[in-house]
Amino acid sequence: MSEQKKRCDTPKSHNACMMNRRDFILFSSAAIVTTSTISLTLLPGTAHAAEQKAQIAGYPRKKIGKLSELKDNQPVDFNYPDDKGSCTLVKMGVEAGGGIGNQKDVVAFNYLCTHQGGPLQGTYQATDEHRTLGPCPLHLSLYDLRRHGIIVSGQAYQSVPQVLLEVDGDDIYAVGMMGLIFGRNKNIMDA
Amino acid sequence: MSNDIYTPQDHVPLPPKDAEVLTTACDYCIVACGYKAYRWPIGSEGGPKAADNAFGIDFPSNVLQAWVAPTQHNVVMHKGKKHNLIVVPDKDATVVNKNGDSSIRGGLLAQKCFNPDTPTKDRLQKPLVRINGELQPTSWDDALDIAAALAKHVIAKHGANAYSVKTYSYQFVENTYAITKFARRHVNTAAFTFHDTPSDVTSTPGFRDAGYDNFGPSYDDWGNAETLMVCGTDPYETKTILYTQYLMPALARGQKVVMLNPRETAGVAHAKKHGGLHLQLYPGTDTLVVGAITRVILENGWEDKEWVKKWVNNKWESNSGFGQGTRNTPWQWRSTWGKFQTKGFEDYKKWLLSQDEYKAENAAKVAGVSADDIRTAAKWMAKPKADGSRPKTSIGIEKGFYWSNNTGNTNAISSLATTVGAGGRPGQMVGRFGGHQRGGTGGGKYPRAKSPEKVPGRRKRSLDTDRWLVSGHTRMAHVVGTTWVQSMTGSEGLAAKFHELVVANPNQPKTNNKADIIAALKARADSGGMVVIDHDIYLRDPIGAKFADIIFPAATWGEEDFIRANGERRLRLYQKLADAPGEAKPDWWIIAQLGQRMGFDGFDWQNANDVAEESSRFSRGNRKAYHMIKVAAHAEGKTLHQKMRELGTTGIQGPTFYNYKTGKLSGSKRLHDTTLTPEQCAERGAPIGANMVNKKMTHFNSQTGKINIQKHPWGLYSDIWEFVQPKDDEELWHTNGRINEIWQTGFDDRERRPYIKQRWSHQFVEIHPADAKKRGIESGDKVLVYSDRVPAFEDTLVGVGGDDFQFSELMKNGHIKLLKGAYEAVALVSDVIKQGVLYADALNTDQPSNSVQVRVVDNISGNYNYKLGSAKIKKIGESEFKKEFKRMSFVPRNIVTKA
Repeated sequence: MSEQKKRCDTPKSHNACMMNRRDFILFSSAAIVTTSTISLTLLPGTAHAAEQKAQIAGYPRKKIGKLSELKDNQPVDFNYPDDKGSCTLVKMGVEAGGGIGNQKDVVAFNYLCTHQGGPLQGTYQATDEHRTLGPCPLHLSLYDLRRHGIIVSGQAYQSVPQVLLEVDGDDIYAVGMMGLIFGRNKNIMDA
Repeated sequence: MSNDIYTPQDHVPLPPKDAEVLTTACDYCIVACGYKAYRWPIGSEGGPKAADNAFGIDFPSNVLQAWVAPTQHNVVMHKGKKHNLIVVPDKDATVVNKNGDSSIRGGLLAQKCFNPDTPTKDRLQKPLVRINGELQPTSWDDALDIAAALAKHVIAKHGANAYSVKTYSYQFVENTYAITKFARRHVNTAAFTFHDTPSDVTSTPGFRDAGYDNFGPSYDDWGNAETLMVCGTDPYETKTILYTQYLMPALARGQKVVMLNPRETAGVAHAKKHGGLHLQLYPGTDTLVVGAITRVILENGWEDKEWVKKWVNNKWESNSGFGQGTRNTPWQWRSTWGKFQTKGFEDYKKWLLSQDEYKAENAAKVAGVSADDIRTAAKWMAKPKADGSRPKTSIGIEKGFYWSNNTGNTNAISSLATTVGAGGRPGQMVGRFGGHQRGGTGGGKYPRAKSPEKVPGRRKRSLDTDRWLVSGHTRMAHVVGTTWVQSMTGSEGLAAKFHELVVANPNQPKTNNKADIIAALKARADSGGMVVIDHDIYLRDPIGAKFADIIFPAATWGEEDFIRANGERRLRLYQKLADAPGEAKPDWWIIAQLGQRMGFDGFDWQNANDVAEESSRFSRGNRKAYHMIKVAAHAEGKTLHQKMRELGTTGIQGPTFYNYKTGKLSGSKRLHDTTLTPEQCAERGAPIGANMVNKKMTHFNSQTGKINIQKHPWGLYSDIWEFVQPKDDEELWHTNGRINEIWQTGFDDRERRPYIKQRWSHQFVEIHPADAKKRGIESGDKVLVYSDRVPAFEDTLVGVGGDDFQFSELMKNGHIKLLKGAYEAVALVSDVIKQGVLYADALNTDQPSNSVQVRVVDNISGNYNYKLGSAKIKKIGESEFKKEFKRMSFVPRNIVTKA
C-alpha cells in the first residue's frame, strides 16, 4: 500500500492528504507517484490549494529541455528563475525525490552552495546508487540529489535548492524553486 | 502544519540599517566561531540595496559575502517585546573563523533561541516537583526550599560524600565557578565530577605527566606545521573551521597530514586527495602505532637531538627535589612505580627498542594498518631534509584517541611529540584539538583526601561517582546540564540503578504540601534510596523525565551575558540576545539561591558580572587566566563584562597580561613558547602587580619546566583490549563518536532543528560493505547492535597490591560484571568505516550506543575508555528511511571531487 494511500485512510490524516507543492516534493517516493507529470488538480477549492499556488506564485514557467535529449548522468545547465540563477538539469538513471520522467530520475538543482555560495558546477557525480553534487570546492559541502539535495556531509544551512519540474509531452518546464538561493533575500528579486 | 518538518523557505527578512548588532560566539564546538546577532522589532525589514540593510551590501550578495539563510532567522522576545533575530557568522572576523566562515552547527544558532512557535516550545519555563510520579509546576521558592532542606539533611545525616554533584564543565565561567564553589568548597563532596568522566581527573594523563598543556597551541600553529599528525578525530567533522580555515589552506600549500582514525570521513578523504596518509586502525591500537612510529624514528636516528638535549629531563631531573620530582607527581601516585618513568631519553629509547610489540610489522599487524605507512609517517614527521633542517611537525589529538586507551595513548603521543621536537615552538606544537569549549573556573578545590577510593601505594584517587552511585552510597544526586546516564558507558546498568534507588523506592511525595514532600524525600534518602535534583533547559529523558524530584529551569547561551574560551584559549563575551523563557534562570543564580538557603556565605551575587569578577582571581595561573582583563577594566572604569563586550568576536587569548605603565592588555598566542624573549615578556607588563607568570608560558608544566619522557607499556592495557577484541565471526569492533551535522547537542540540533532532524532522523551505525554483505545488511535496514559481554567495573575499591586495578585482576577478583547492552539503528553500509569495525553516534540518547561500550575505567587515570567496545549486529527489518527520499541519506561521507 502506498504511503499516500495510508495517509488518507483515517479522518485525522485527511489534512495530510491535502498535498501542496512542498509536500509533493518532500513526500514523493517510489510508491506514491505513478504519473510522470505533476497533477495540479489534487486540491481544488481547498485552503491548501491557495498555499500550493503560493509556493509557485511569482515563479516563471520556463521550458528548460526535452526528456528525449537527456542522457544518463550528463548534466545540462540552464538559468532559473532568472538569468543569474545558474542551475543544472540531469537525468540520473535512478529514481529520486521530486524526479520526473518515466523513471522519476530527472531532477534539477541550483548550482550555488547554500553555505557560502561556492560554485558546484562540475561536481555532479554518480557513485554506485548514489548521486551527489559537491563537495563544494570552498568548504566541502556534499549534497544528495536523490533526496532533494539534502546535505550529506558539510556546512550548509539548508539543502541545495531544488527546481520544481513539470513535463508536458517531451518538454521539461521549470515552474518553481524549493529553498532560497544563496545570496538572495527572496528568489524572485525585484529588478 | 507541524513545524517539526523542515519546510524550505524562499524568503528571509534582511536586518534594516538600524538593527541592533550584538556579538557572540558559537555555543557548540571548541573552535567557537565569532557571530553577529542582528535584532530589530518585528514588523519591518531591510531592503536588498546596500543603503537599506544592516550589512551595507547589495543583494544578491556574492560568494563569501554576507547572506542570511532562512534557517538563520528567528523571532524572539527582547524586553518582553517580539523581535526579529538573525545570527550569522561575523564577516568582519579577523581571528578564528576569518571573514565569517561557519559550520552547519553554528550556522543554525538562531534556531537555538526560544520561540514558542518553533520546536523550542518545550523549553523548561517553571520549576517542577514530582508528586505521585508526575512532574508538576511549583514556585522557585518552594523548589529551592525543598532542595536545600534535602541537601542539608543528606549532608548532615549521611555525610558530604552522599551528596553527589554531576555537572557540565564548560557552560560558561560564571556558572561553573558558582557550581564548583558550591559543590567543592562549601558542600565539600568528593562525589563530584564533570559531564564526561566518572571522576574528576585529567583527560590526558600522559600530557600532564610529560608537562604539556592540553591547549597550548594556537590555531595558526596547526596551519603552520609542515607535517601534522591528527589522532582520533577528523577536525572537519568536529572542529570544522579549524579544518576549513587552517588545514585546508595548509594542505593546498603542501602540508603533510597523517591521520589515525578507523573512519574515512570528508576531512580524511580530502587530506588523502592532497597526499595525506590515513592510518585506518582498529580501536584501541593507537599506542602500538604511535610507539612504532617513534621506534622507526629512533632506529633511523631522526629524533630532534638538539631539542631532546635541551628540553628532556635526564635521570636526575626526572627525580629532582625530594618530594618535588617525579616521585611526588601524580604519575607516581598512580602507583605504577617505574612503569612509566625513565632515566631520560636514552633510557626511553632503550626501553622502546626492547619492546617487540612496537616493531613496525608487529604493530601494523595488530592495528590492521601497513608497516610501510608507519614508516612513511615516521619519515614525514622526523626525517631531516637534504639541507639538514627538520620538518616542522605538530600533533593534535582528541577523544577517539585519548578515550580508547587513555593513559597509554597519551603517554605514547607525548613521547613521540618530544622525539620529533614538537611542543614549544611556532608550528611545532602538541595538544588537544578539543571537544567542548573551555568554560570552567574552579571555585573550590576537589577534596581528594575525602575520596574513599585509593589506588595501590599511598595516593587517593578522585571518587568514581558512577560506581559510588551503583554501590548505593549516593543519597542525593545534583545534576547540572548533563544526561549523566546516557553519557556514561554501559548506560543500561546505570539507568537500572537510578530506577531502583529513585523510582522503585516506596518513599514518594504524595501531596503538594512542602513539608510532606520534604518528609517523603528525607525518608527515601534515609532508607537507602536517592533524591535527584536537576538543572536543565529541556526535560531530558530519563534524568529529568523519569528520575528528577525537582527540576530547575535554566537560562542558557544567548539569555545572559557569559564568558568562555575556545581551543586556543580565546576568551569572548557571549552576549544576551533574548529574554530567557518563562521563569528560567541562569545556573549561577540557582546555585546562589541554594547556597543562601543552606547557610553558605558568598552566594549573594546580583548579576553575572558579579560572579565573573569574583571568579577572575581563581583563573590566575590558568591557561585562560582572565584576571588581568578585570584589572584593565577597572583601571578604565569598566566592569569585566563591559570590557569583554568591547573586545567583540576577537576577544583575547589567555593567559592575559596588563601593562600597568602603558595600560595595554595583551594575550598569549601559545603556551610553552620557548621562543618568547624576556623583552617580549616585559612588554606585556609581567611580572608586575597582579600579573602572574608561571612555567607554562615559556617552559613545560613539569617539576623542572622540562619534559618528562615516558614509557607506554602495552601490558597495562593489553588484557582489556584482548578481552574486548571480537571473539568470533559474528562480533565486530564497536566504536562511536560525533557526527558533523549534529555535534553533541542532541537537545538542540538532533531534536529541535527540523532540517538536521530530517538529515539524521534516527541513530545510525556504519558498517563496512564486506561485513554487511556477510550479514545480509543493506543501507536503510533496521539493525540491532548488541552485546552480552559488556564488562562493567562494579565496586569502589581500596587498592593494595600493585596491579589491583589491572583489568585481569579485577576480573579475577570478581569486580567485573558482564552486562548486556543493545541499541537499534539504521544501517549505513559504506567503506567510510574500516572493515571489522562498527561506528555509531556517541550521544544519541534514544538509542545510546554507549550501552555496548566498556564500563571499566582506565586503570591508571580513572577515565572511561569510551571508544572501546565490540558488538554483534543483525538485521531486524527495513527502516522507513530505506525506500523514501525525504529523510536521512545513505551517501558515503568520503566522496571527493574527481579530477
